[in-house]
Amino acid sequence: MDILFIAKYVLVIALIIMMLAALRASAYKSTSMGLLGSSVVVVAFAMALLVGGDIYNLEFFKDISLALIFFGFVGTVAFAAVLGGEDK
Amino acid sequence: MIEYIQSALLIISAILIIISAIGLISLSGNTKNAVYGRIHIVGVFDIACIIAMIGLGQYLLAGIYFIIAPFTAHAIANAYWKKEDRENNSDLVTVEVEPDYDNPFIHPRDKFGSLESEDSEKLKADDRFSVATLEIDEGE
Repeated sequence: MDILFIAKYVLVIALIIMMLAALRASAYKSTSMGLLGSSVVVVAFAMALLVGGDIYNLEFFKDISLALIFFGFVGTVAFAAVLGGEDK
Repeated sequence: MIEYIQSALLIISAILIIISAIGLISLSGNTKNAVYGRIHIVGVFDIACIIAMIGLGQYLLAGIYFIIAPFTAHAIANAYWKKEDRENNSDLVTVEVEPDYDNPFIHPRDKFGSLESEDSEKLKADDRFSVATLEIDEGE
């Protein structure tokens, strides 16, 4: 078992831990924390998809992770703009 | 050789991700400005993800995310500041600064406000002078 394979699995485990931490963080009382937690979960899932696609030779994994990262960003910024409201 | 560098990058990013996960959970909610601190911690996670993307050979994705991540953090922090933080902690908006009355270039608002108030000494002194107006009779 080569070291790159082990490193990928360690990264996936770290990403799962981060996802759980972000889910906990999104349950804090502020709405912004929910926004932050969901944004982190999306990016962690995209990263896990990158690693998983690299290990198992999945199809379109790069395109799906690119879409997740890009549309996650768009959704986060749009929700933040609505949450912030108009300038006073 | 490249394989070892890739493995090192992935391990480093995994360590950074675990550190940021622990920080995200362990930062107490009673801390002042905890939300901004958590956004800062997520910045570590973002950079760890960029390192992992470079380790996996996805350079374009890493570049895109390197540009995108600060915008996300700023948008969340700005929304929190504009709505929740400013409404819940209204004392943050007013900054108390001790004015320097001796400085000739600084004109504190309270000093000039007292001069313009109705019972100020300056306005009472101005009452000594009367303003004469010329009345024009249109019939002439």
